[in-house]
Amino acid sequence: MNYELLQAAAASNTWGAILPELLLGCLALGLLVLEIVLPKKRHDLIPALAIAGQVAILVGLFINFRTGYLGETTFNGLLKHTESGQFLRAFFLLSSILVSVLGVVALAKQKMPRIEFFHIVMVVSAAMMLLAQANHFVLLFVALETITVGFYILVSYTRSNPLSLEAGLKYLIMGALSSGLLLFGIVLLYGVAGNPALPAHTAESMNFDALRLFLAANPDNVLASIGIVLVLSGVAFKVGAVPFQIWIPDVYQGAPTPVTAFLAVASKAAGFAILLILVRTFAPYASLTTPVLTIMAAATILFGNLAALTQHNVKRLLGLSGVAHAGYLLLGVVAVSATNSALAVGAIQFYLFAYLLASFAVFGVMTHVAGMDDADQDLDHYADLGKTHPFLATVLAIGLGSLAGIPPLAGFMGKLLIFIAAFKAGLYGLLGVAIFGVVISIYYYFGWIKAAFFSTWKAEGAPDTRPARTEVSITARLTLASLALASIILGFYQGPFGDWLMLR
Amino acid sequence: MIGLNHYLLLSAALFAVGFFGVLLRKNTLVIYMCLELMLIASTLALVAFSRFNGTMDGNVFVFFILTVAAAEVAVGLAIIVALFRKRQTIQVEELNALKN
Repeated sequence: MNYELLQAAAASNTWGAILPELLLGCLALGLLVLEIVLPKKRHDLIPALAIAGQVAILVGLFINFRTGYLGETTFNGLLKHTESGQFLRAFFLLSSILVSVLGVVALAKQKMPRIEFFHIVMVVSAAMMLLAQANHFVLLFVALETITVGFYILVSYTRSNPLSLEAGLKYLIMGALSSGLLLFGIVLLYGVAGNPALPAHTAESMNFDALRLFLAANPDNVLASIGIVLVLSGVAFKVGAVPFQIWIPDVYQGAPTPVTAFLAVASKAAGFAILLILVRTFAPYASLTTPVLTIMAAATILFGNLAALTQHNVKRLLGLSGVAHAGYLLLGVVAVSATNSALAVGAIQFYLFAYLLASFAVFGVMTHVAGMDDADQDLDHYADLGKTHPFLATVLAIGLGSLAGIPPLAGFMGKLLIFIAAFKAGLYGLLGVAIFGVVISIYYYFGWIKAAFFSTWKAEGAPDTRPARTEVSITARLTLASLALASIILGFYQGPFGDWLMLR
Repeated sequence: MIGLNHYLLLSAALFAVGFFGVLLRKNTLVIYMCLELMLIASTLALVAFSRFNGTMDGNVFVFFILTVAAAEVAVGLAIIVALFRKRQTIQVEELNALKN
């Protein structure tokens, strides 16, 4: 490489383009410094500062939403800045803020170091924000591993609880296995695309744009096909699609509740963010990816909904219903893979946002109802919640209703948009499976709502096994109320937000 | 003469050993070694491709993979040690406390 090329490469390192990620990382490090500097009794300030700092970064991101870098690649083609990327950046920051709010509530019940929790959540979120703009396999792998290793720590965070550690170990083995598959797929694609004997071979074979051109010129390469399938399986592990969903119920149950929420929302969204990028990169091989994703989507919807029917532990129930949600989202991905429709991309993003609002409302209520042992959260613990804590019960009902897709809540609009996109792509069989899945899901979601609002018959003098419920603080009350309200409003009126998502 | 295909075959064999080791072995530490074997198999293929294709990207990527693997081992062994202290076992069939 000569001097001018090196100079051009160095000039494309525009650090301003990743300012939100940098600020988030610095804030995360700053928290650790504050923990050393501040006296012990002022340590309760640090979580508040973490939340305030993240809100400030989010506001900054919105002010600078239409940044000058849109449509450009920076860092030598490592990053590509798009409007979808900007949306997902805001999405991950918002979920990081909400996890921090839940973390304050949940950590107060445990004798655990506090500050590291917020630190790791913020580092993981920054990696997710980078991942949403990835345009190169090296960045994709490193960002994904930063997320995964961070989650190993978060899942086993309550290390005095063997269940949390067991969940951490299971996530560790499954996560590392999926990373291994993903990496081997990347290596095969890299090797094939750089082979000088093939047409359109490229020196930049890990760059997505160069890779797409290579795949278009070599439509039936066996090694490339194996590589594509391995990469897609690695990502399917992260989103929890069948047949890679086995870790979900155990890990969701053992992890501390805020971490379960983080896994359910942000980790899944990160998986779909890269899945969308990859499906477009692999577009020349759509005849391979579309059938694979179709079978995966159908199996995921059916398995998730049927397995959730018999669950009594609410965390396992949410985990398996989350598998079903991954199935509906995969339906949208199939539509993108089959027709490359912009409508489907917008629908997936709307669905993810509605899922974030509803999930965090439900997990917020769960954090308040749970006792000392985070893994033991039974449906029975919700008995009489409607009488003793009407606010929590209402938020729970709205959240679950939105997850089930009851009109007029936001979850219904999300499902409707995905189904419309699938209908326009001509995926009638898959659509039938999805509607069947939605009908089943209403049963278990309403079983939960019933448990919260109607009292169950109990033998005279039977011991009360319900753990004590936490008092709802002002911050948590405001957060939960706005989540529930947003779920309702977004169901009636999508407004400019919906237009923006749909019309790109 | 050893060519690219020999390296790829060796790498695929190592990867298969690692993959089936993760699925079939019962001891957590052995499973962990198998996971590392999968990463090393990818690394071998990467270096071979990089050498025979004449591009440097693969060699650079290897350093990222090694760093990531080291971070993963550090966290993973910490979890395994903490779990062993609580449960006095690292056999996967005995780690089944999470259920409905």
